[in-house]
Amino acid sequence: MIDSQPSSLEFTGYTPTWCAGCGNWGIGKAIELALKKQELTPDSVAMLFDIGCSGNMNDFINAYAMHTLHGRALATAVGVKTANHHLPVLVTGGDGALYGEGGNHFLHACRGNHDLTVVVHDNSVYGLTTGQVSPTAQKGSKSRSTPGGIIERPVNPLLLALTQGATFVAQGFTAQLPQLAELIKAGMQHKGLSVINVLQPCVTFNKTNTYAYYIKNSYALPADHDTSSFAAALEQAQATFAERFPLGILYQTERPTYQDELSQISEQALVKRDRFEDFAKLLGGFE
Amino acid sequence: MTDQNTTFLWKVGGPAGQGVMTTGLLLSKLCSRSGAQVFDYAEYPSLIQGGHNTYEVLSSTEPVSNRQWHVNYLVCLDKQTLEEHRHRLTANSTVLLDPAAGELPQDTEYTVLPLPLKEILAELKANSIMVNMIALGASWALVGGKKDLLVRLIAEQFGKKGNEIVALNQACATRGYDVVLEQVFQNASFPWLDSLEQYPIVMSGNDAFSLAAAAADCRFYASYPMTPSSSVLSTLANWQNTTNMIVRHAEDEVGVVSEALGASFAGVRSAVGTSGGGFALMTESLSYAGIAEIPLVVFLSQRPGPATGLPTWTEQGDLLLACYAGHGEVPKIVLAPGDATEMVTITNQAFDLADIYQTPVLVLSDKFLSESRMWLDRTITETALAQTPDYGKTVREPSELPYLRYKITDDGISERLVPGAPGTHYQANSYEHLEDSHTTEDAEERTKQVEKRLRKQATYLQNHWQMPEIFGELDASKYVFVTWGSSKMVVAQARTLLDEPTAHIHFTHVYPMDREKITELFAPDRHYVLVENNATGQFGTLLRSEAGVDIKHTIHKYDGRAFYSEEIVAALEQHDR
Repeated sequence: MIDSQPSSLEFTGYTPTWCAGCGNWGIGKAIELALKKQELTPDSVAMLFDIGCSGNMNDFINAYAMHTLHGRALATAVGVKTANHHLPVLVTGGDGALYGEGGNHFLHACRGNHDLTVVVHDNSVYGLTTGQVSPTAQKGSKSRSTPGGIIERPVNPLLLALTQGATFVAQGFTAQLPQLAELIKAGMQHKGLSVINVLQPCVTFNKTNTYAYYIKNSYALPADHDTSSFAAALEQAQATFAERFPLGILYQTERPTYQDELSQISEQALVKRDRFEDFAKLLGGFE
Repeated sequence: MTDQNTTFLWKVGGPAGQGVMTTGLLLSKLCSRSGAQVFDYAEYPSLIQGGHNTYEVLSSTEPVSNRQWHVNYLVCLDKQTLEEHRHRLTANSTVLLDPAAGELPQDTEYTVLPLPLKEILAELKANSIMVNMIALGASWALVGGKKDLLVRLIAEQFGKKGNEIVALNQACATRGYDVVLEQVFQNASFPWLDSLEQYPIVMSGNDAFSLAAAAADCRFYASYPMTPSSSVLSTLANWQNTTNMIVRHAEDEVGVVSEALGASFAGVRSAVGTSGGGFALMTESLSYAGIAEIPLVVFLSQRPGPATGLPTWTEQGDLLLACYAGHGEVPKIVLAPGDATEMVTITNQAFDLADIYQTPVLVLSDKFLSESRMWLDRTITETALAQTPDYGKTVREPSELPYLRYKITDDGISERLVPGAPGTHYQANSYEHLEDSHTTEDAEERTKQVEKRLRKQATYLQNHWQMPEIFGELDASKYVFVTWGSSKMVVAQARTLLDEPTAHIHFTHVYPMDREKITELFAPDRHYVLVENNATGQFGTLLRSEAGVDIKHTIHKYDGRAFYSEEIVAALEQHDR
């Protein structure tokens, strides 16, 4: 079934195959809204999709895109951005992809401060493989892979991003679509690595972290929260240990991006510059 | 045994950290700049300090492509060097040894000359590492080289460190030179040339890959250090200010290859470099490159495995891994240059092929080729480097709308649009996809895409695959050697040692291969000898499966060391007996 044209310059692509009520719907809409608010078009943005229910968005939103291997969207995005740093680059993946399979890439993308925006669909399960626990599952969560309850405690995505050097760290909730769209837009406008962890119920496989659960346990950051304070951000991020989830921008700071520090592309994008032809100069070193 | 006035092997050995590599490199430069052909080979254990390092230079009036068994000159920076390598000495050999390191051996078949390293250091108040300069000067005198060239080369080498350092190094070297001259009655009479119109190009296989990649418009190189590929990473990184290439040392090999695919998708020629262990980690992404049709050049420099194996030694042990890497049926091209000149031409071609066929292209090397230094053919090298890249069907704007990234074509190749072109979009999809790049599980569409991708291999065989190189007369030979990759060098030199007429079939374009054309090279009445630096005969396996050719007589080596050409000769003598 083909319900979109590859040349369509609308973001809306195929009708999503997500379950009715799935949190992905809200995130998909918020991403589309954020892109439109920035007056971007599918031909002016690069999107990297990881594998999973969230990654299936590759067919639901139109853009220059890579639907990568599982866990590799972020590392692949580093290459895209480095080759053409004028393209806005948005990475979409689940908590399994970003904090599990691709965990090492996450650490290093944060410390590198690559100019990328990462939207993490955090639903604490592997939905597409029928609901096994993910790295953010609460200790004791039972699933097909952990019938006795998961032994590990959950990854704290916000603390992880903050401590590894991400320069924009926010948390959104799929049911609060206008705020989420603003967070994604702010993340994309930010120069450097932006992490937006999005709380997202999996209505089919996660009977614990439901809409009601997140409505009860999430809270807006206090009006006087200082987003430039690393200490304040760390403080708020620790609430997650007590199953309290702050919503909003926890932290934002300016630091040169990885791409800013590459003198090779200070004038022109790597993909745009002329070919290097002065090989004779290199050859001279071998005589 | 060769005449040491036209061919000699010089070897230096000492503890790691004593400058053995610098001594070797400079001696080699002195030889090549004085008109000799050279082949250099270094050995070192996987240790930073305390290991035994050696560097040998085969210097000749004739082309050389391997070291030789017989050591003519052995320079010992410690006693261990003599112990480790005395079995390669004969009556014609000369050993330089410091009397301070212990009593000089008496009544030996070979000549021992005292080289008072410690005494000279003390006399010149020089740092202990400068024994390497004393050894260099002494060596250069021993082989009959001209002193002024020695003095000039040291100035060139250490110029950046200031006049004082240059002067001290020169003093050490000339003192070493004079000490030997005082003791040698009959100077070696190698026909050194006083001046050359142009110095030859001498480099390692890794250098050749680096140079060719830079000239082939590679703009993004990612790697995670792994011997013996690491020097490509450092060389390309050092050249960044000149080439404007972006060289990334990423977090792990999975990140390395993912980044390269991202950069390639975004429109720049990209490559990664690694050895077997790192390559194993990358194979999942080769599969992605295969289905999403993303160009990628992979430099795979082999070392002996399995697992960590022998990190700093050599083997041709990853051929089948390379050919069959990646889950699913991935179209792929595997190339295996046999020497540094071929490394230049084949690397150059690899970048074109990756773009033309929009699929991974592997360039295989091994420690022996990667780290040995040798002469390059200047004309071939310069021609390859100057070649204008062929980007295939890569476009910056679509030739028609709607743009179909995976359009079914007769040659299997679709137009590849550099992302960012206005008016359209597409995805590099790791799932099976429709022509327009959207995901599909439709049986008919799947079949069409599989066939389209595999047609690229057929197109390659027709348009770009190259027949093996043939040296000598196949029909008039007692033996026809068959090699791939670095064994070319071993066999080329072995053929010069054999009295009987021989021929040599050398494969560079190892996978896929044209079954019919290959079969024609193998006639039942000829005696083929397959030479492989591995235990299981991987190329033999490939020839059987890809071409239906079964070579019965094989010569293998798998102790982590490259073949001596003399070993090939000995193996044939054994066979004849």
